[in-house]
Amino acid sequence: MNQHIDPGSLRADDGIEKGGMLLHVDNISLSFGGVKAISDVSFDIKKGEIRAIIGPNGAGKTSMLNVINGFYHPQEGTITFRGEKRRRMKPHAAASQGIARTFQNIALFKGMTTLDNIMTGRMTLMHGNLLTQALWVGPAQREELAHRETVEKIIDFLEIEHIRKTPVGRLPYGLQKRVELGRALAADPALLLLDEPMAGMNLEEKEDMSRFVLDVNQQFGTTVALIEHDMGVVMDLSDRVVVLDYGRKIGDGTPDEVRNNQNVIDAYLGVSHD
Amino acid sequence: MSPDFLNFIETVLNGLMTGVMYSLVALGFVLIFKASGIFNFAQGVMALFAALTLVGLQTGQVPFAHLINAVLGTDVHHWGPGLPTVLAILVTMLVMIALAFLIEKVVLKHLVNQEPIILFMATIGLAYFLEGTGDLMWGADVKALDVGLPSGGSFWWEDVTRNWAPAGSDYFGMYIDTLDVSAAIIAVVLVVALTLFSQYTATGRALRAVADDHQAALSVGISLRSIWVIVWSIAGFVALVAGIMWGAKSGVQFSLSLIALKALPVLILGGFTSIPGAIVGGLIIGVGEKLAEAYVGPLVGGAVENWFAYMVALAFLLFRPQGLYGEKIIERI
Repeated sequence: MNQHIDPGSLRADDGIEKGGMLLHVDNISLSFGGVKAISDVSFDIKKGEIRAIIGPNGAGKTSMLNVINGFYHPQEGTITFRGEKRRRMKPHAAASQGIARTFQNIALFKGMTTLDNIMTGRMTLMHGNLLTQALWVGPAQREELAHRETVEKIIDFLEIEHIRKTPVGRLPYGLQKRVELGRALAADPALLLLDEPMAGMNLEEKEDMSRFVLDVNQQFGTTVALIEHDMGVVMDLSDRVVVLDYGRKIGDGTPDEVRNNQNVIDAYLGVSHD
Repeated sequence: MSPDFLNFIETVLNGLMTGVMYSLVALGFVLIFKASGIFNFAQGVMALFAALTLVGLQTGQVPFAHLINAVLGTDVHHWGPGLPTVLAILVTMLVMIALAFLIEKVVLKHLVNQEPIILFMATIGLAYFLEGTGDLMWGADVKALDVGLPSGGSFWWEDVTRNWAPAGSDYFGMYIDTLDVSAAIIAVVLVVALTLFSQYTATGRALRAVADDHQAALSVGISLRSIWVIVWSIAGFVALVAGIMWGAKSGVQFSLSLIALKALPVLILGGFTSIPGAIVGGLIIGVGEKLAEAYVGPLVGGAVENWFAYMVALAFLLFRPQGLYGEKIIERI
């Protein structure tokens, strides 16, 4: 009964070896009306790595994350997560299979406290459906307390004890980003998708956030896929980088390989597309 | 205390009691509006439908009796003496939950991501459908509803207050309907229960999360469809309570569905997204109405009660469109 609650047996522990294939997307194409957001992109994410997705504005990075967690449904291609191949994900299914994410423009529950926000992250780990939870007060209460314990650990880990009871709408931007990370972590994610976790932060906040991402990856073994514009951060943090430009993949490899890839250099320096 | 002042207190008290009844209806609107942004025009009809079903079960009516008789040439009307009140209330609640499931399956599911106005139109359709179904199921006659709550004036309160006036004055005590008092107590219990539910249960947290941000709620794995069923079930429960109280007060009749219109000014006053707003709004409208009737009525020939609430709502729309407690809409441009 408590298998999901004990942090020692995270959902990330799914029998896939570290370095094994956790997710791969194959030949994904996505368009909105006549606008092609992603064309024929394939890449993979290995268990335990930090995978960065980079590219200029409008390259299709966020769309890619939305495809992975089921907000967008691609017209072509397949998504294989933990060996299970699908044409499309559904947000609800993605979440319950352990894909958690944060958003470019923070999407927290602004009227709720930090604690409540992070507790929602454990929604998919709670037993019974919402209706039985509403009616069975006793067991639900015990379960709630067990989840609460895990959430308190996450709060400690992210060093946000002082804002536990503060409605997140009142928090400064950097802290909101941190709470959002906490909510994603609370799901014991097998795959953590971070959409520009450091955007709009000052140097100190960036360093803190980088440290948290690294710690999450190393201490819990959580696989991370992140979109980031700060190249310094990307090169320091990530094991492998995939580069998108105009919805196409133009590079894929270790930070060093990508840095020396002519296509990537052209994309960033603005060589004309012809 | 002078009799004039005592009369004033009596008017205020009765206003508060009426206000509670308005709040009960408004509450149902707020719950659905908060969670899904839908203005549920059918809320009043849901109260009517719940009351009709309750009376039908209580008195042992055969549902669709007229239809069955017309088609089959039979003469069925009652299947027995009816269910005991408590059981009838429980069964009615189950019917309201089933209704919530149906509404989600048949209507809402197909209208995801549509404009609010389209969902609003759908609830208008739902209102007429439910009204017709209620008529077909239970008949259109006015029915008395008795759930065993005390009713009639309180003699105790009359006796107590009679002595407040100076001796020898021509004052006979305050009139207060015990049914209204029960309604007020039930409303308070209901609001406290709803608040505890939304603050301290996982389901309540999910409801608040959905009300706050749909996309974020999806990303943590909350299923919007189950949330909608739950919200409509709760609104159905509130409708049942409102239906019982209004039905016990003035009989179960089809004009009951029009109490939804009285909830509109309450909502404009309290804000569409605030539960405390619905309560306070209802109380203000109730008291305002009674006071206006008592003190302005004689000057203009009476019937102030009928339009007062709408005038207040109009004034609020002009000066404070978000209501007393609603979220102020500020957009960055």
